[in-house]
This record gives sequence, C-alpha cells and structure tokens, in this order.
Amino acid sequence: MSANPVAVALAVAGGFGLVASTGALVLPARIRVLATGGSAAASGTAGAAAGALALSGRTYAAHLPNLLPLGGVYLRVDALAGVFLAVTGAVFAVAAVYGIGYFRGHGSNRAVQAVWPLFALSLLLVPVAASVSTLLYAWELMALTSLLLVCAGGGEQARSAGLWYAVMTHLGLVALLAGLVWLAAAAHTETFAGIAAASGSISPAVKGAVFVLVLAGFGSKAGMVPLHAWLPRAHPEAPSPVSAVMSAAMVNLGVYGLVRVGFGLLHGGSRWWWLTALLLGALSAVYGIIQAAVETDLKRLLAYSTVENLGLILLAVGAAGILSDSGQPVLAALALAAGLLHVATHAAFKTLLFLGAGSVLHATGTRDLDELGGLRTRMPVTTGLFALGALGAAALPGGAGFPSEWLLLQSLIHARVISGAAALVMLPVAVGAIALSAGLAVATFVKALGTGFLAKPRSARAEHAHEASGPMLAGLGIAAVACLALALVPGTSAPALARAVNAAGLYVGGLPEYADRLTAIGSTLSPLLVVAVVVLLVLAIKALLKITARAPRRAAPLWDCGAPPLTARMEYTATSFAEPLQRVFDDVIAPESDLDVTQHDESEYLVARVAYSRAVPDRIEHRLYLPVVHTVRRAGRMATHVANGSVHRYLGYGFCAVIVLLVVLAAAR
Amino acid sequence: MLSLFRKIAAVGRVAESAPPAPEPAPPELAARTRALRGSAQVRCVDAGSCNGCEIEIGQAFGPVYDAERYGARIVASPRHADVLLVTGPVTRNMAEPLRRTYEAAAEPKVVVAVGDCAIDCGEFAGAYGVEGAAGDVVPVDLVVPGCPPEPAAIVEALRKVTGR
Repeated sequence: MSANPVAVALAVAGGFGLVASTGALVLPARIRVLATGGSAAASGTAGAAAGALALSGRTYAAHLPNLLPLGGVYLRVDALAGVFLAVTGAVFAVAAVYGIGYFRGHGSNRAVQAVWPLFALSLLLVPVAASVSTLLYAWELMALTSLLLVCAGGGEQARSAGLWYAVMTHLGLVALLAGLVWLAAAAHTETFAGIAAASGSISPAVKGAVFVLVLAGFGSKAGMVPLHAWLPRAHPEAPSPVSAVMSAAMVNLGVYGLVRVGFGLLHGGSRWWWLTALLLGALSAVYGIIQAAVETDLKRLLAYSTVENLGLILLAVGAAGILSDSGQPVLAALALAAGLLHVATHAAFKTLLFLGAGSVLHATGTRDLDELGGLRTRMPVTTGLFALGALGAAALPGGAGFPSEWLLLQSLIHARVISGAAALVMLPVAVGAIALSAGLAVATFVKALGTGFLAKPRSARAEHAHEASGPMLAGLGIAAVACLALALVPGTSAPALARAVNAAGLYVGGLPEYADRLTAIGSTLSPLLVVAVVVLLVLAIKALLKITARAPRRAAPLWDCGAPPLTARMEYTATSFAEPLQRVFDDVIAPESDLDVTQHDESEYLVARVAYSRAVPDRIEHRLYLPVVHTVRRAGRMATHVANGSVHRYLGYGFCAVIVLLVVLAAAR
Repeated sequence: MLSLFRKIAAVGRVAESAPPAPEPAPPELAARTRALRGSAQVRCVDAGSCNGCEIEIGQAFGPVYDAERYGARIVASPRHADVLLVTGPVTRNMAEPLRRTYEAAAEPKVVVAVGDCAIDCGEFAGAYGVEGAAGDVVPVDLVVPGCPPEPAAIVEALRKVTGR
C-alpha cells in the first residue's frame, strides 16, 4: 500500500519543524541560524506542498487514538484546509528564509528560534484537526507559542502587549471551548464528521448560541472589531519574521474556523448569523483602515491594515452566508471564493510588507515613519519590493489585493433583490464599506511608502541605513513573486478555489461557468491585460518623446525656489500627511492633540518654546475595554475586604460553609 | 452660472484694441526667440522692487491690456519659463536667487528688466543693501524704462519677444 502523499508531506513538515526547533536549542551559535532557518524553510515548503496537494483534490483522514488522552487525535485534510495549509506553509517558508538573515544579527536569541518553528507547526495543525478536542489542542498550542514570541522582545511595551494578548486570546479560547463543547454535547460526538451529520437534529436556538460563541472566539483571533485590541499591540512586538507569520497566517485561521464551523458543521444556519458577521466585517474593514491611515508606527500601521483585510474576508464570508440563505448559491460560492482568494493575496502582500518593515527596523532601529524617509537611495531593492507590496495592499489593478476585492464586489453587486429589510440594507452598505476601505488603503500605503522610503532622511538613523542582507532580500523576493503571480494571473487559482468552496459545504458545481455568467453582464477585468496596457503605454510615450525631442536633454539641479538647501524639515511627515484624514474622521478616531507654548521670562509676548504632541488612541479600546478593566480592578479591590489575610476569618468562612452545606443536605433529604 | 453668462454678455469686451505692432526686436534677440514661435512663458522675479512695477505687470496681464492675446503667459516656476521679468534693484539677499532662477529657466531665455530700478538701480543706487542693477547679475536683453513703466510699455516689450 502506497502512502498518502498529503500525509507524507505533513509528516515531512512536522519532522523538519521539530528538527529546526531542537536544532536551535542544541546547535552551536556558528551554524545554528543557518541550520534552523534551512530546516524551517523545508518544513514550510512541505506544509505548502501538503496544501497544494489538498487543493488539487486529494484528501487525507486519520485517527490516532493513542496520541492524546480523551478520544485521541482526528486529522482530516480537504481542499478548504488545503487553502490555509498552503498559505501558512508558504508564509512560514518565506519567513524562515528571511529569518536566516534577520536572526544572524540577533544570533543570541536562542529561545525565539526554538519556539517559532513550533508556532508555525501549530498553525499547520489547526486546519488539519478534525475533532473538537484536536482543534482546541492545536488552537491552544498556537496561542501559547505565539504568546512566548510576543513577549520575547522584552521591555515595557512587549510586556503590556503580551498581557493584552494573553488575556484576549484566552477569553477567545473560553468562548470557543464553550461553543464547541456545547455543540459536541448536542451532537453526541466530537468528530467533525459526526457533528456535521447530526447538526440537522440540533435545535436552532442551540446552534445560534454556538455560532455566537464561535464567532466571538474565532473573530477575536481574526482581529474582528471590537475584539481586535490585542492585534495592533502584539503583532508589532514580535520579531519581524514572526510578525509576518502572525499577520499573514495566524489571523487567517480565525476565518478558517468560522467557515468550517458555520458552513461545514452547522450547514449555514439562520440569516442573522451571517448578517452579524457581515456587519462586524464591514466595521472592522473601515475602522481598521482609518486607524492605519493615521498611524505613524510602520508595524502598527501594517497590523491595523491586517484588521482591515481580515474584516473584508469576514465580510465575504458573511455575504456568502446571506446569499446562500437567500437561494443564490452561485453568488454565495463566488463571495466565499473571493474571501478565500483574499486570504491568499493578503498573506502574500502582508508577508512582503512585514518583512520589508523588518528590514527597515533592522537597518535603522526605528519603526516611526516620522523619523524615516530617504531609504530609496540607501535600500533600493527593499524599497522596490515594499512598493510592490504597498500596491497590493492598496488594492489597485496590478496589485495583489485587486482581484479578490474586485471579485467580492462583483458577487455583491450582482446579488438579486433579497427579501428582508436588514439584508436589503446591508448588502449596499457592504459595497460602500469595501469601496471606502479600498480608497483609504490607497492613502495609507501612499503614506507608508512615500514618507517612509522616499524624499530625504529625517533622522540620523535613517541616514545611516544600509541594504538588507542576501537571505532577507531572498525572502522578500519570493514573497514579491507570489504577489505578482496572484496579481497578474489570479484566474489560475479558480479550480482550486472551487474545490475549497465545495469542501466548505456550500453547494456549487464549479466556479468557471459562473465566472462566465458574470462575463455576460460585462464585468470582467483581466489584471494581466491592464498591467500590460499600462506598461506598454508608458514605454510608448517615452519612445515618442525621445523621437520627437528637438534638443538633447539637459541635466539640472532640483529647483529649490532659488534659496537652497532643501532640507528634510520641508517634507511631508507621516503625521502631516495623515492630518487631513484625521480631520475628516475626527469624530470617529477622536485624536488627542496638545499644544504647549512656553513664554519667555522677559515678556509674555515672546515665545521661548512650542511643543506639539499628538496621539491617536484606539477609541474602541478606550470606550469598551478600559471600563471593563476598571470594573474588574474595583471588584478585586473590594474582594480584599472579604479576604484580608486573617487566618481566623478564613477559618470562620470554612466553618460557615460546612454549616450551610449540612443544612442544605439536611433540607434536601 | 446663468448670471455669470448674463454678466459676460452685458460687460462685453473691455480689452483695448491692439496698438500697432512695435518695431522688431534686435536681430540677435529675434534669432534666439524664433524657437518660441510666438508663445512666451513668463516668470516674474521681484529682486527688491517697491511693488510698483508688480502692480503694472498685473495690469499688463489684466483684461484691459491683455498681454496674453500676444502669446505671453505668466507661469509659476522658472522651470516652465522662457522670459524673466526682473523688477527692482537687485538686493544682496536676492542676487543669488536671481542667478539661480536664470540658470533654472529653459533655453532660449530672455531677460526683461522692468522699471528704472532694474535698469540702473534708480532711486536706490548706492544703497547699502543693493548689489547692483539687474544687468550686473544676469545678462539683460530688453529694458522697459519708467518708474513705474506703463502697462502698455510692458506689453510692447513682451510683443517684441513673441513677435506678434
């Protein structure tokens, strides 16, 4: 009997991952980085291969009864899991190649290098899990390893981020645990296959409650507003390759869980479920990108952009649920396919952007866009590749994010009139949210690229930047190739996406014929053609100018209004670039700015010093979380009156408890 | 919008009818300005003027004298300009910017010194802050005397450049 290729690829991924982890612990410093990075890259490649095999139609299922107590481990790989396996594996491999260069600088950090292959393996394990307990084990492994990596940086900020992350991810786990265990109890089995078969007989009220719990649990992992507060804190604190894996792969698993449970196990359910998902997705998309637009920390900006993109994916999933519920399976499948495609494209460009931001951090030691600038001449390759990623994140034609957002818009625009006021209102609102977030994304990434990389350096650190090392550029290069492939020929992924949508449990024959139907209404757009035409036009205009020019070109210094020199203080900073947007969204983001004027000792009409400070706190965090934190703290302080450390009082409590228990028992008899 | 059209119809044309063409520019200048083919982009440089000449230049491009009908047009950057209208005595602070402005203008470049100050420092000759006349800093091709010169004289100088 020949072995299942998916199983072989997964075993290879697991083996290399463990080798990388142990290698980091035992190998001498000289070869540690190279050996760990190499085997981690091999592990990621094998994981991606497993995903690709699953996407090509192969499946794999196994039951390992003795691996874990209580029911053992159930594994199952289908095309839906394949999407997430392929994305996670590819991101892991690219980040590992990049890490060879990145960790060489910080070579002594043995713990990070040992933990992060384990983290990536746990990410590969989540989509493979096929029972409630296996999924929860993998989920918790993922949460713990990523928590260690967030805290690895040390320092006050990392500690605070770690605390937020630990609390929120475990509250998410509690919600997930409650929801899935309730579901398993109602279905009398914990395997996914069993639950899917039995879910028809579960009462709708239970299913609705389970869905709400699961949405909270998975949504918090996917950075869904208002459960996103941990994401912009935790992602920037981890080392950059790990940030890339967290932002491009880990958050996706929240979407995976929602699709698997919502469509696969609960078979769609009621419409209000998906209306909620759609609404929260639209809210996340718009809120995330507004925060990103006014953010000046490069990695936090990228983290908020993750909130936006995951919001769009969530919106796609919600739209798929609504369309499926209203009897339009074709458009539902298209919406879900758009969501899954966006998972892949977002992973591609976000890996590129986070790794590029890592190179900048490595070269300059700062993430503050206000202090950067001028990197184009010092880091030309990184700048070019970051620009490619920014084009993708801005969702413009030719960028990676464009095909998936276009497909999503198409599926929403072509929806037939749906009965029900809520759905009728929400679908156009969703279209508006996508358009608004795409527009703001352009502003955000023009800011990130323009103030971060172009013009003159605004600090000594940016002035002394240097180009990244070979392995780091190689990692960026691979991610850039993936971006280009997804941007120019997204159509090649259609059969794989169709299989994934089938596996998700939305019934559909296949995507190509539906794509044709959309063509008939005249709404196709070939990204490859657009890019080819633009490039050809630019070349043609250049050639035309060359032919028609009557005089040779004259080189001249940059015009500086006759009063040189041009200084970096004349440039747009990230703060000033975002100022108009901050003004427009003043009511939403409620920025805090403070102008402090110090008068001269001699006269109050002479100004000695003017200090301006501005902060854009996360408003949802302020309004929603701080009251809860304060309440908990107050409750804790009140509890100190009850438990004040006196042994006598505790003995008294014990005595009273026994008396009460005896009375209750006596009364119950 | 409609009221705007009504106003246009009511006011009609206020530009004075074109005076006869001025005598042609010196042959050396005419040879250089032939490449402009009747269209001159103009950048004004205030090198230290009292602003009197600027007001007259403004009038020259206003609706009554309407220099634009002869092909001259004000632009915002010397990078776009063929003609520099230099006004005022060149002060110490403006000498270097004037030199740079001249270097930044496109070939072929024509410098017109507008007003007595630009021609020979006028009232301010020998003042401590004055570096010299415009001709001491950049090569001057045409002069428009007057303190300040009449708009018609400025238009006439520009017509020599455009040849219209």
